Amino acid sequence: MITASDRGTQFAEALHAAQGEIAWFDSWDELWDFADSLSDDVPVVSPAAHQFLQRGDLPDAIEPLRSIADRAVGITVATLGVAETGSLLLVERAPIDRAVSLLTRHLIVAVGEDDLVDELTDGFRWLAEQPRAAAYATFVTGPSRTADIERSLTIGVQGPSRLTAAVLT
Amino acid sequence: MITDFKQRYEHAVADPDLRPRLLAFQRSWRESRDAQVSRLEQRTERSFDELRRDFASVKDATLERIDDYIAEFRANAEATGAVVIELSTAEDAVEYIAGVCKARGIDLVVKSKSMVSEEIELNDELAERGITAIETDLGEWLLQLAEQRPSHLVMPAIHQKRQYVAEILGEELGREFDPDDIPAMVASARQGLRRHYLAAGAGLTGANALVAETGSIMVVTNEGNMRLATSLPDVHFVTAGIEKLIPTWSDAERQLQLLPRSATAQTLSTYTTCITGAQPGKEMHIILLDNGRREMREDSAIGAALRCIRCGACANVCPPYQIVGGHTFGHIYTGAIGLVNTSFHHDIEDAAGPQGLCVSCGACETVCPVAIPLPRQILSIRRKATESGHAPRWERWLLRAWSMPQVFRAVMKLGSVASSVARALGLVRRDHIRLPLPRRLSWRSIPAIPAQTGSRLIAKRTPQPTLAPSPAAGSTVDLFAQCLADRLMPVTVDASALLIEAGGASVNVPSDQQCCGLPAFDAGDWETARRMARATIAVLSRTDHQIVTPATSCVISMRDHWPQLFRDEPETLARADAIADRVHDLAAWLDGPGRLPDGCLEREGASSWTAHRFCQSSNRGEPGARIALLVERLTGETAAPLEEPEVCCGFGGLTSIAAPEVGEGILDRKLDCVAASGCETLLTNNPGCALHLRAGAVARGAAHDTLHYADYLAARLPDDS
Repeated sequence: MITASDRGTQFAEALHAAQGEIAWFDSWDELWDFADSLSDDVPVVSPAAHQFLQRGDLPDAIEPLRSIADRAVGITVATLGVAETGSLLLVERAPIDRAVSLLTRHLIVAVGEDDLVDELTDGFRWLAEQPRAAAYATFVTGPSRTADIERSLTIGVQGPSRLTAAVLT
Repeated sequence: MITDFKQRYEHAVADPDLRPRLLAFQRSWRESRDAQVSRLEQRTERSFDELRRDFASVKDATLERIDDYIAEFRANAEATGAVVIELSTAEDAVEYIAGVCKARGIDLVVKSKSMVSEEIELNDELAERGITAIETDLGEWLLQLAEQRPSHLVMPAIHQKRQYVAEILGEELGREFDPDDIPAMVASARQGLRRHYLAAGAGLTGANALVAETGSIMVVTNEGNMRLATSLPDVHFVTAGIEKLIPTWSDAERQLQLLPRSATAQTLSTYTTCITGAQPGKEMHIILLDNGRREMREDSAIGAALRCIRCGACANVCPPYQIVGGHTFGHIYTGAIGLVNTSFHHDIEDAAGPQGLCVSCGACETVCPVAIPLPRQILSIRRKATESGHAPRWERWLLRAWSMPQVFRAVMKLGSVASSVARALGLVRRDHIRLPLPRRLSWRSIPAIPAQTGSRLIAKRTPQPTLAPSPAAGSTVDLFAQCLADRLMPVTVDASALLIEAGGASVNVPSDQQCCGLPAFDAGDWETARRMARATIAVLSRTDHQIVTPATSCVISMRDHWPQLFRDEPETLARADAIADRVHDLAAWLDGPGRLPDGCLEREGASSWTAHRFCQSSNRGEPGARIALLVERLTGETAAPLEEPEVCCGFGGLTSIAAPEVGEGILDRKLDCVAASGCETLLTNNPGCALHLRAGAVARGAAHDTLHYADYLAARLPDDS
């Protein structure tokens, strides 16, 4: 029997292996304080995360790219976290939902501790049952990376160069 | 532009950086991939083989009913607003994409990585129609800037060195780059490509899987460019082969267990993106391409190649790939799978050139995550190439001569006379003739041909008394000497007979032995192979004795190639099968019916030795491959550890003749490992390998001796008995 805390530990280990970071928060306020302390620039917040935070810059629906590109810190929300792989499932139907997770430098992804599942299988089962969610769903496992130049692993290519899973307890 | 094969080959072997770079890549991939796979096995409590066979059967079942799954996929995708279009040829696909672009006034397309788009040569074709396509995967973009093609399925720019990357990026972006600052070069892609995403009217991606139950695509990437290319432009094209269909999301997950681990040795790539249907206000066009795939499916020898999930693992363990890279070992698709599918997606001419580079070592099949029988499929394509007149003429003549016993014997006789002359002139050292060879061949030396054959040595001596009666004691065993060994390694043939006799059996050497047909089979010349095999079948059908051979490769030939050669000749097939049932590799014999007891060949003053196992049999897990265990068991000595014991020695039949640089490069890799083991003696189990390893070791002045294990063991038989 896997307990919630085992699952959290496993999730943290897998995420670290994928060069991601993890932080634990009791509330959205704490999460905001953490995000806000990372840079002088105000964090940008996806529409999904804004519902909870009611703070930060929203992407501009007309010019999401210009308003968000290369901003220091972004915050979004994951539907699920997968303990086995350290992945976060982002369900982002419209391009504006994706702007923050695509373009910011340091991406913070909030996920409820109760939304951690054991295996990738669980994530796919959820997807299969939610055809609308699968309109545009991404399992994100760590920051963006490449090894295309002489196989040298370089973190942060076209997407975020830092990724923090913010687990809300 | 793809130049002809000869040019590509010469270009590759002239590049001094390619081999060390690919060697480092293969070694590090192997280590990380093996670690990933063993973690997966532990977690799932199932073997890699079970996992891959499971997913392979999903792929096979889907392909069998491909039209049903396409219909299901189409219905679901169209219900969510996508357009699904099935197209037969590369031209159709290009025309369709260009047509949609023209109708929408789109003149710029941003592309995420798609091998199908490479297959249809989309970028060039669109350019001719006034549409610009920009690659956004960093590696693909670097290739586009350099006007090159991918040399690997997942590491497309693996052949480029950082100095070169700095140069082409500098030209494109108008600033200088420090070749040693890879992060700065990577960061430049972020800025260099950003404007294209904004300006593009369409984004194009491939698909790692097409999920029928929901009409979704699944794409696995690491950089994030695919998400940008599908989020910013208004039109999304998907180019995918029909073989990418899988029934359910649960199958998608099974594919994901195998794909990133086999491709980049990651547990999961950074982004696994699932898209279902057109996004609000946008268009999605999913192009399902046939382009030879149904024809592959109908070919019973090739159909399994459609399981391919494009991980590139087959290239990552391929010894010739390490020497020449993917621009030479392949066409647009590279690695072992490229040697198979090229003739279906392109032309047999495109597929023919690299065929002779494959050494048939079988490494690719051991790591393929969908268990494609690649070595066997390559031989089938090679046969097609040979039969359509694409084999070199010298090869055909050489094999013909080899198949004629009189010619073969005359040439060998002449060689042994020439060798005696050389010996008299003092030109022979360490059993090799010291003559200067042309530069391309200087890595090896020419073995002196002994005056007497192995069969003759056996006939001339008295039998070895029984050392310890084996289960086969009292029986008579036919010794198949093997054509090369009998002439070039007579002592080994004799040693094999001594070891059989030590177990209490007597040895009969059937006269008129020649070749089992393997070199011709490997070269795709089945007609000559059949002629050779028939002659051997006739010789070995004279008795019903058990048959033993020191040549591991001939056992594979008899058990595996003969049934293929005589598929349509039931009578010959029955005789061939009867022989295959009676034939034993010497090592298997000495552990089985001719078993000698543990420690019976223990001797004082043992030398240090290590063992190279014949790759083809060790990659199939044949018991005869366990020669180190056999020698350890009989002598009580312990093998020195050898790195990469399963990697080929570079002999590869005719490969080392047709492509000497490949033979040399792989041999160097092997001899470096042998040198690192610090052993005094290298033992091996196949005469071809032994000759190749010995000729190379003598040429480089290596400290170790190279022996067939039979030589090593027979030298430990008691003198007085």
